[in-house]
Amino acid sequence: MMEAGEIHMALAVCSGCDIGQAIDIDKLTDAASEAKEGLSCIKHNTLCSEAGLAELKRLVLEKGVDRLAVAACSPRVMSREFEMDGVQVERINLREQVAWVMEPGQEDTQMCAEDQTRMVLAKLDTIKDGTPYIPDQLSSDILVVGGGIAGLSSALGGARAGYRVHLVERSARLGGYAGRIYKMLPDSENAATLKEPDLHDTVKELEEHPGVEVYLETSIKSISGEPGNFIVSLENSRVSELQVGAVVSATGWKPYNTEKLAPLGYGSERVKTLEEFEQFVQKEQIPDRILFILCAGSRDENHLAYCSSYCCSAALKQALYVRELNPHAEVYIIYRDIRTTGFQEEFYKMVQADDAILMTKGVIESVSDQGDAVKVIVSESLLDDRVCINADLVVLATGMVPNTTSDLQLQYRLGKGLPEIEYDFSDSHFICFPYETRRTGIFAAGTVRAPMDMELSREDGAGAMMKAIQCIESVKRGEAVHPRAGDISWPELYMERCTDCKRCTEECPFGSYDETEKGTPLPNPARCRRCGICIGSCPERVIGFADFNINSVSAMIKAVHVPDEFEEKPRILVFVCENDAYPALDTAGINRLQYSPFVRIIPVRCLGSINKVWISDALSHGYDGILQIGCKPGDDYQCHFIHGSELTEQRGVNLKETLETMMLEPERIQTRFVEITEHREIQEIINEYVEEMELIGPNPFKSM
Amino acid sequence: MSTINPDLGFKRKLTRLSGSQLNQCMQCGNCSAVCSLAPTERPFPRKEMIWSGWGLKDKLMGNVDIWLCHQCGDCSTYCPRDVKPADVISAIRQTSYQHYARPLFLGKLVSNPVWLPLAIAIPVVVIIAILFLAGTFKIPPGPVDYSAFFPHGLLNGTFSAITLFFYLLASFGIGRFWKDMKIQTPPGEAGRKRLPVFRVLREILSHSNFSGCGSRTPGKVAHLLLFFGFTLLIMVTLYAIWATVTHHYPLPITNPFKILGNLASVMIFSGLGIMTWQRLFNKSVFGKSAYTDWLILAAIALLTLSGTLVQLARFGDWSIAYHLYFFHLVAVWFVIMYMPFTKLGHIFYRTTALLYARSIGRK
Repeated sequence: MMEAGEIHMALAVCSGCDIGQAIDIDKLTDAASEAKEGLSCIKHNTLCSEAGLAELKRLVLEKGVDRLAVAACSPRVMSREFEMDGVQVERINLREQVAWVMEPGQEDTQMCAEDQTRMVLAKLDTIKDGTPYIPDQLSSDILVVGGGIAGLSSALGGARAGYRVHLVERSARLGGYAGRIYKMLPDSENAATLKEPDLHDTVKELEEHPGVEVYLETSIKSISGEPGNFIVSLENSRVSELQVGAVVSATGWKPYNTEKLAPLGYGSERVKTLEEFEQFVQKEQIPDRILFILCAGSRDENHLAYCSSYCCSAALKQALYVRELNPHAEVYIIYRDIRTTGFQEEFYKMVQADDAILMTKGVIESVSDQGDAVKVIVSESLLDDRVCINADLVVLATGMVPNTTSDLQLQYRLGKGLPEIEYDFSDSHFICFPYETRRTGIFAAGTVRAPMDMELSREDGAGAMMKAIQCIESVKRGEAVHPRAGDISWPELYMERCTDCKRCTEECPFGSYDETEKGTPLPNPARCRRCGICIGSCPERVIGFADFNINSVSAMIKAVHVPDEFEEKPRILVFVCENDAYPALDTAGINRLQYSPFVRIIPVRCLGSINKVWISDALSHGYDGILQIGCKPGDDYQCHFIHGSELTEQRGVNLKETLETMMLEPERIQTRFVEITEHREIQEIINEYVEEMELIGPNPFKSM
Repeated sequence: MSTINPDLGFKRKLTRLSGSQLNQCMQCGNCSAVCSLAPTERPFPRKEMIWSGWGLKDKLMGNVDIWLCHQCGDCSTYCPRDVKPADVISAIRQTSYQHYARPLFLGKLVSNPVWLPLAIAIPVVVIIAILFLAGTFKIPPGPVDYSAFFPHGLLNGTFSAITLFFYLLASFGIGRFWKDMKIQTPPGEAGRKRLPVFRVLREILSHSNFSGCGSRTPGKVAHLLLFFGFTLLIMVTLYAIWATVTHHYPLPITNPFKILGNLASVMIFSGLGIMTWQRLFNKSVFGKSAYTDWLILAAIALLTLSGTLVQLARFGDWSIAYHLYFFHLVAVWFVIMYMPFTKLGHIFYRTTALLYARSIGRK
């Protein structure tokens, strides 16, 4: 930390956007100057205007300011405007979180504004200038695992962008499933004709590209290290070890287990799966009556609960094969719903135009091989309540099961594969961050992360490759990859005081920490997402970021002036998660949803980053209650750092016991979860909580 | 449980006759929702559409519902996929005339233009044969007297006998139709009631079912004109047959029956005019017109026109009177003798279906 005397701090207060009406600016700067000796202050009625910014810059230059507090609007807006080279800028959110949500001109509103200002000044006093972490040995190579359609598209994309790509495929040929089919579904631009398989050109370009190394019949022995510096050991290969900067996992899928399809007649020679039929049409004579059963073992709780999205189109495509290869053939399709989404509707209509392809909705009751024909009994069909259809061959449109990713052999304490979410598909945040897994620098593409067709797989491969490139470039600059893209802070450990308790290694959702046999954490900062969950986990308080650490938050907590118990002005500390809760709070402000002026807000990187010491600091400083608001936990996680919110709940249980031993009401500490859109709820949460605290009464530790 | 036996030949025939892309039906049921006839438990014509799409001839031939339909066209008007259920129903009916025709040959004779020369040749040859046997096959001298060419007794006798013979043949087909209806739509628990003849007669006479639909109001008017025009003509004909025996025949122009007959001609002409106009210029509602539609319209038009001309020729003593008369008799044959096998067969099938439907309580 720098010496206090070396810091030149300034405060710029904007009185525009209702701030001037709500708060006495002069009183505010007086209070700030009182809190921080030698503080330079300027006031302006539109600080973000050209004139305002010019005045601000003049002040920074004249006084050599290196720490600047901007008391104006939310840090979520005007962030570029207030950025200044060589100056640590912190924002005091007087507009969205004071002026717009509290009664103007009131004493309590003024006190809140002054406290929030003092908090940020205290923070600026304690934080350090960060230096980015950049791994010593950097590689810009990219490893693509899996040579199917997604892997090929990914590898080719990377090579075309100028990166060196290593493509590892465990079989003897490239192409995966897409390489074995008779014909492909039409492109969305040209929906009217089936395509000849076009992988040949891709494979050729790839094999000839100087930037691509292909390793066939090769598997991975291990992957260790961190983004920018992954060490990959290969088995059965001319090269035994590679160094790569990022990994794309495109290990694909396998058809649904046919053993479970006996009730649909599987086992008879006349009953085949889509994949088997794809090979069958390339070799055998096609009989005259073919019946397709869609959703075979899909969208059924006893089988695959989901829709694999490709099977309807694939079955329709095969119906066309049948008609092309045997013009006398009739095709019967029994569906639950035909799901040909997007442009494939055109393809569906094209199939419909063939008058020998007959479709009906229905539920398959039984499929039995009668020797001369397969008898299929369909109930609830559109044809009649219960009908029997005879066919010479039945094709089951089975779904996709993702391949395991443990073949990646990751040397992470959290496991060899990527974490799997619902239905065994690789982790990827469908809504916000497709491709991104919980292993930084390792991206999932194609059917290993979600069921999809070839067109989507191709796009997915390219998309994941772009993320891999972005990752490498971020690591080169020492920046976090995502979701705090661009953040140059990283967790630094004061190892002398570490007790090898392993909490940080266990609680890190991203496996950033390896550990020695003894349990000493071995950080891999490039794997880190900068959530700070390790700060929250550490009982010895040895982990911290340059601009977010035990001291900086403690200083903010203590900067608040807590009135004594007779003034009946409770003080509530609110830890707000920066990801969803903080924006929700800003939206509440934009909507002028009024809440109590007794709250003092501290934004945190994740609820999981809240250290117990801050709670005890707050209680001993005299706060009457502590409210923690974060993202929703759960399997379909909203939490940007997977289980930060969950951890807070768990830690809350222990905390309650501690409170009880201190003879404090456990209700004083509460945790709430909101979605980014729940600004009305967040207003209610705050107001109800404050009311509850007023009922419980003041913290007995006040003014002790 | 029924076994599904798709008959693609049948499906293709329906496609050809209706011009409907049957596969494009997405079974949404809009047609059933707008149909005033559709019972709740049997979505008509949604089911008939998929049966047609699958070529399920056995399910469609004894189908009651398609005969209750009076072709108002609402289903086609509201079909979001433009698969024209009304035209498909027409096509199914057309196929039924042929399917139930006994001998089968008679069905083919009037449904394909290829057979038209033969269909004309049969009455021509038969009439010539009768005239030849009667020894009157020559233009009689003197003022026009049709009985000199074709004695009334012989005409009425032979034509009645031939008509009865044709209708007897047709009754076998209708009997099979009745059996098929019983299989396709078995009577419910309530069982079958006595044939509600009067109720059905009232329904037919009043055209009450026509008012349930919106798309084809002109169709109702035309049908009413044609229906009552024909009814009048039949009454006049019956009177004429009786009159040849008891009165001085032919009747003078002032005879009330003669006036009624001419009124009937006017009604038929007007009805035909509306129908032709609609088929030519209102295709979106009236759908595709097939050969059989035009054949029957043409036959009725020629019948009525030649009848009127025959009458004028008698009063005007035209030299071509007997040629016209011969032509008129051939036209009579087309409309009356061939009736069960042409589109006019609906007079039999629809009445039969109505009787069956009402007897099992189908509304």
